[in-house]
Amino acid sequence: MIMTSGTIFSIEEFAVHDGPGIRTAVFLKGCPLRCTWCHNPEGQRFGSELMVKKGETSICGTEYTAEDLAAKLLRNEAIFRMNSGGVTFTGGEPLAQGDFLIAVLEQLKGRIHTAIETSGFAPAETFREVLGKLDLVMMDIKLVDQERHRHWTGVSNAIILRNLETLIGSGKPFIIRIPLIPGVNDDEANLEATAALLEGAAGLQRVEFLPYHKTAGAKYPMVGRSYNPGFDTQIPPRLDTEPFEKRNITTMIL
Amino acid sequence: MNQRLDALRSYLLDKKHHAFVKTAAEAGIADLNERFEREGTPDQMRSAIVFSEMMRCQEPVILPGEKIVFTRTVKDVPFIYTDKEWERIKATHYIHERGTVSNISPDYETTIRLGLGARREEVEARLQDEGLDERGRTFLESVMMCIDALQDLIARYEKKAREEGESDTAEVMARIRTEGAGSFREALQLLRAIHFAIWAADNYHNTLGRFDQYMYPYYRHDIDSGVLTREEAFDLLEEFFLTCNKDSDFYPGMQQGDNGQSIVLGGRDAEGNYLFNEISEMCLKASYELRLIDPKINIRVDSRTPDEVFEKGSRLTKIGLGFPQYSNDDVVIPGLVRKGYSEEDARNYVVAACWEFIIPKVAMDIVNIDGLSLAACVKDSLPALKGCKDYEDFYCEVEKNIFREADRICAGHKGLYMIPSPMMSLLMDGTIERARDISLGCKYNNFGIHGTGLATAADSLAALKKFFFEQKRFSAERLLDALKHDFNNDPELKEMLRKEAPKMGQDDDEVDAIGTALLDSFDKALEGRVNERGGIYRAGTGTAMYYIWHARDLGATPDGRTAEENIPANYSPSLFMKQKGPVSVIKSFSKPHLERVINGGPLTLEFDRTVFRNDESIRKLGMLVKTFITLGGHQLQLNTVSREELLDAKAHPENHRQLIVRVWGWSGYFVELDECYQDHVISRIEFDV
Repeated sequence: MIMTSGTIFSIEEFAVHDGPGIRTAVFLKGCPLRCTWCHNPEGQRFGSELMVKKGETSICGTEYTAEDLAAKLLRNEAIFRMNSGGVTFTGGEPLAQGDFLIAVLEQLKGRIHTAIETSGFAPAETFREVLGKLDLVMMDIKLVDQERHRHWTGVSNAIILRNLETLIGSGKPFIIRIPLIPGVNDDEANLEATAALLEGAAGLQRVEFLPYHKTAGAKYPMVGRSYNPGFDTQIPPRLDTEPFEKRNITTMIL
Repeated sequence: MNQRLDALRSYLLDKKHHAFVKTAAEAGIADLNERFEREGTPDQMRSAIVFSEMMRCQEPVILPGEKIVFTRTVKDVPFIYTDKEWERIKATHYIHERGTVSNISPDYETTIRLGLGARREEVEARLQDEGLDERGRTFLESVMMCIDALQDLIARYEKKAREEGESDTAEVMARIRTEGAGSFREALQLLRAIHFAIWAADNYHNTLGRFDQYMYPYYRHDIDSGVLTREEAFDLLEEFFLTCNKDSDFYPGMQQGDNGQSIVLGGRDAEGNYLFNEISEMCLKASYELRLIDPKINIRVDSRTPDEVFEKGSRLTKIGLGFPQYSNDDVVIPGLVRKGYSEEDARNYVVAACWEFIIPKVAMDIVNIDGLSLAACVKDSLPALKGCKDYEDFYCEVEKNIFREADRICAGHKGLYMIPSPMMSLLMDGTIERARDISLGCKYNNFGIHGTGLATAADSLAALKKFFFEQKRFSAERLLDALKHDFNNDPELKEMLRKEAPKMGQDDDEVDAIGTALLDSFDKALEGRVNERGGIYRAGTGTAMYYIWHARDLGATPDGRTAEENIPANYSPSLFMKQKGPVSVIKSFSKPHLERVINGGPLTLEFDRTVFRNDESIRKLGMLVKTFITLGGHQLQLNTVSREELLDAKAHPENHRQLIVRVWGWSGYFVELDECYQDHVISRIEFDV
């Protein structure tokens, strides 16, 4: 058997904002997007890198085999079950290590409730395959306009919107997350367009808003980078749930 | 909170009522001890006289808007002995802390039900017994004096209320002077008067026990008969809570806030009913609204407790008072029975000032008589390291040291003397019948020993097991030399011990098993020992202030901790453990046989405030608590803190007067703590989610 392995940059217990119940969040390292507001810059590069925290240098990113990671997560199987919880794979972009993710999911299947937090930016086959092995999907929709999306995240959203269609069509339970970034995507037009995409989706549980927080840039110096978000970080984002509520979509602010 | 109580709360926080306060010297009663010495007054009478004088010198005051009265106006309680006398007594006796009766759970219930008049008659009737010895007679007379003095103060409050046109208050006073409580308000007022009285009798850590249980009948009666609406009852309860913060500046404790006014809610009865009632719920709500450090709330839970109780508790945790604290009936009750408490008494357990499990009415246990440093027992075994052939061999040395330390500690508690307290005696079971003061003992006379530095000890042993015995990565000489030099000469070894060795709290079965073994040894070391009062010794997982004291003499330890670093407070992981998260912590700390360390001592989890952004996360915190309980944890306290806020409060105390933190078994105002305690709170691990 070929051992599939992947790179993890953090495993967080009791991740209260990453899905139902008591959950562990697993952060997979590496992301094809470069959202300028990203608060996890250490999750962007693939493979391990050096990180300097409070004057101490450490290696960010640990290689795990799918078996080892699954065994580690299964230690808390009883606790997840007791508390309608489970495991959430996040990142970085977990779908960017698709084979590894699939191998881990296969070992957890039927034992632990699994969820993913994704940008949706992944090959259609990978997306579809992972979808079939998961219990819950949490997917971002950052911007609907393709050009604006490319400007702020570095990639086109065509593939994301196609995967969103697949997700809606699958009937799988899902949550949409919208990071609300001041002056970037908090305008009425974008929120209207987003809500329109979701109207009537059977599996949609709710839309969660994550208002931009000023501390987002804190970790950039730790990985030797500077934070240049390109928007005014001092203005609070506009919280407008109206386009969703009028379409009977439940919203929540995190 | 209504406008009346809001105004009263501000009035008390601004300490305006201190304008009525005078010292014992100003009241002319500071030198009673000199008279006692001259006249050779027996101690029993001294206590009764001081109490009577304290009552006589109180000035009845009714603060603006008050319905539940009694404010302390004589600040300090005169001591019954002169310095010379006390030195002499101390030279030949074991004195626990301040020497007065403390940290027990009085029976308020009986006196509230029967009334002071009936209690007086009971004492009077007992005095008719011609077979009484001299000591018994003196005791009963001293109790009588206390009742008279308290009744007299109630009468003066009645008069004051009439003068001020507070006719309702006057009526309440007129009744509670002699009668048992006939309403919720009367019950609260009588409780207030009695609680006030024991504080003025120089007793301290005066816990409030199962308030929701003994108050419930009065509440039910008033609601059912239409005397009170629920809102009115809640206002009264909230006002009672305020009274606990009224005189607390004058209550003795290690630090401001350490006054032991704990309250215990819930619990399961013998029939299997979970006793969380409307009063229990109101207590959580009152505390949530008032945001004050007293009373400190404990909830008795178990694996069958409904989720909503944990959720309601978590809502209170969110605001950062450092309580509720939870204790697990599934573990505590069998644990107490194992230690010789009757099933019925064990079922009625409450929490002492901090966390120690005690029985109301019948126990004169001294639950915090001493502390045994498990970390020091490991440290003291190190010279034997070289001669040990394997880890098991070395562990035998450690266990021997635990036994030796238990010998030393228990030998120290000889010739205990406690200052009599006739007022407190009135509130304890069987004292009138026995005609003996409570200071001499009661049904249970057990002593509790805190076990400090558990994680430091377990982590040290785990490091030795792995690196010294199994991997042979360093010699005994190298380790001892490094410890002697506080690792200054060997930073490499320090890094290995500190960072690579497993730590208790990471859900590592091997190190957790060592923690379990240490607690088992601790319990075994105390097993079968009988104290001079015929009681037993109980092992516990609390530390009280010993976490500061014991760390001072410890020096560097094999877990990589340097000499100046603290040891964890209570039953908690090392302060520098690499965190895996709260789930691993609760797993690790629910593995030991906790029913064997039933003196109590909670696991403390600290959370960053940002965890509680919404209702969902509060529910999840409730789940986490319930999980700890289901896994067999015995006790848990939670704190929500913000490191930034604490640092700022240390630098600018004037901006953070109301900032409350959990210290060891109690909550206090951060800015009023000594620096060493402030720093410990700051250095604790917090979970940033």
